[in-house]
Amino acid sequence: MNEERYIKRDRMRFTKNTLSSTLALVAILFNVFFFVSIYKSDVGSWYYNILIGASILYNLVFMLAAFLSSEGVKNYKTAYSYVLFVLGIIQIVRIFIIPMSAHGATVTLGGQEVQVMKDAQFIRVVIYLVISAACCFTSAVVGIIRSSELNAHLKTLREGQ
Amino acid sequence: MAQLKLEHIDKIYDNNVQAVYDFNLDVKDGELIVLVGPSGCGKSTTLRMVAGLEDISRGKLFLDGRDITQTPAKDRDMAMVFQSYALYGHMTVYENMAFSLTLRNENPNVIHKKVLAAAEILGLTSQLNKKPAQLSGGQRQRVAMGRSIVRNPKVFLFDEPLSNLDAKLRGATRREILLLHKRLDATMLYVTHDQTEALTLADRIVCMSMGHVQQVGTPLELYDAPANVFVASFIGLPPMNFFDVSVGSGELNGEGFKVPLTEDEKEILLPYFGKTITLGVRPENISEGGNIPVSVFSNENLGMNTLVHGHIGEKGARISAKLKGWANYKPGDTVPVKFDKKHFFDKESGNAIRKGK
Repeated sequence: MNEERYIKRDRMRFTKNTLSSTLALVAILFNVFFFVSIYKSDVGSWYYNILIGASILYNLVFMLAAFLSSEGVKNYKTAYSYVLFVLGIIQIVRIFIIPMSAHGATVTLGGQEVQVMKDAQFIRVVIYLVISAACCFTSAVVGIIRSSELNAHLKTLREGQ
Repeated sequence: MAQLKLEHIDKIYDNNVQAVYDFNLDVKDGELIVLVGPSGCGKSTTLRMVAGLEDISRGKLFLDGRDITQTPAKDRDMAMVFQSYALYGHMTVYENMAFSLTLRNENPNVIHKKVLAAAEILGLTSQLNKKPAQLSGGQRQRVAMGRSIVRNPKVFLFDEPLSNLDAKLRGATRREILLLHKRLDATMLYVTHDQTEALTLADRIVCMSMGHVQQVGTPLELYDAPANVFVASFIGLPPMNFFDVSVGSGELNGEGFKVPLTEDEKEILLPYFGKTITLGVRPENISEGGNIPVSVFSNENLGMNTLVHGHIGEKGARISAKLKGWANYKPGDTVPVKFDKKHFFDKESGNAIRKGK
């Protein structure tokens, strides 16, 4: 291993994994953009159902889990990277729940058929969820790579002693 | 490393209060200069002017021959260690030490090497992941020093760095600073009000009072040949005893005592014959067995020595004597003493009377 690479690894003993941590926080941010875009919609009473209630609860769980994971990956805890993986997968799955059904649904307002979620809004919320998921995945991958590098380095140091 | 020159420097604040008067000093490469004096004497102000934290009202400041009087603090290539440590509480020791280099956009690998090297010098390697709140006062001060070391500045400035530490830790950290100076061979300016620190650390001491430089010299020069009554009283612990005496033929006459003069002393005091001068005697230059009676009012055993406080005669001048050995004098006891070494000062000016002056 060349010196540059060695020092880069050694630095991890004293510095935090801020890239993973920041990505996890960005994932939360885009999740906020997603639910604000959904919740501000008011097309008849289509949104007033149990699904939105569950969505609100899940958003709270997501933000809490993502925040805790951001702290975990910041400190090179591999387990939190897997949590972020799962959160990322769920973000992708969410595209197929409220956005897809709202995009395909119509309601009658003032005698006219109105699409619940228009194309522009649909594309926007999908982008938010995809970015949020991508951030979770990238954060998880970076976290796993860095924490395994650090563990290998620490093992080498211990053996050296 | 660097040479520093302060030329006729004055500091006058906006309210016309003058804190420093005509300060002149040549600091040689690798020298450790200690500015010492009581609170409010202008020593910290001088240091802050050197650092660029205070404007210089008059005079010039040179670093390696370059005029830096108007140069902003960030461009002076000096590092300052404060009494309050000034560490970032939310950062680890490593991050605190690396911070200034990070701001300069240095390569992180280079920063890492410098921080580890500084931590090794200061014995902080095992503390690098801790936050300042988890460290002792001495360790925090070492972190503050480490933060200076990583910058590899031309001049190190210390503003009473040990004042927040307890006596034991102060002694240990003082030795560390001394070792650090020897190891780095760096030019250092160190401010303190503690004369023990000044005497033990300095290559040269600048003794200040009321904004004026009283004397510049090696610790031994200041201790052994103080320029005036102020320096004589400030340097040395316990402080020097002072007595008003008139110069007679072959002796000094004080209130209730007479002190014989040597031939050399007679020659020095010839211009003062018949006049009153100030006689200074350090407590450690007083020994038992002379003809000066000291009426004891307190006795402090220091282990190897006994510090005796009393009056000369019954109600004469107060005197403190550091006598050899362990003694148990009671209040009211009379101890005959003699002066082994004397310092003479002009009564009017307070300046030392020396040969050829």
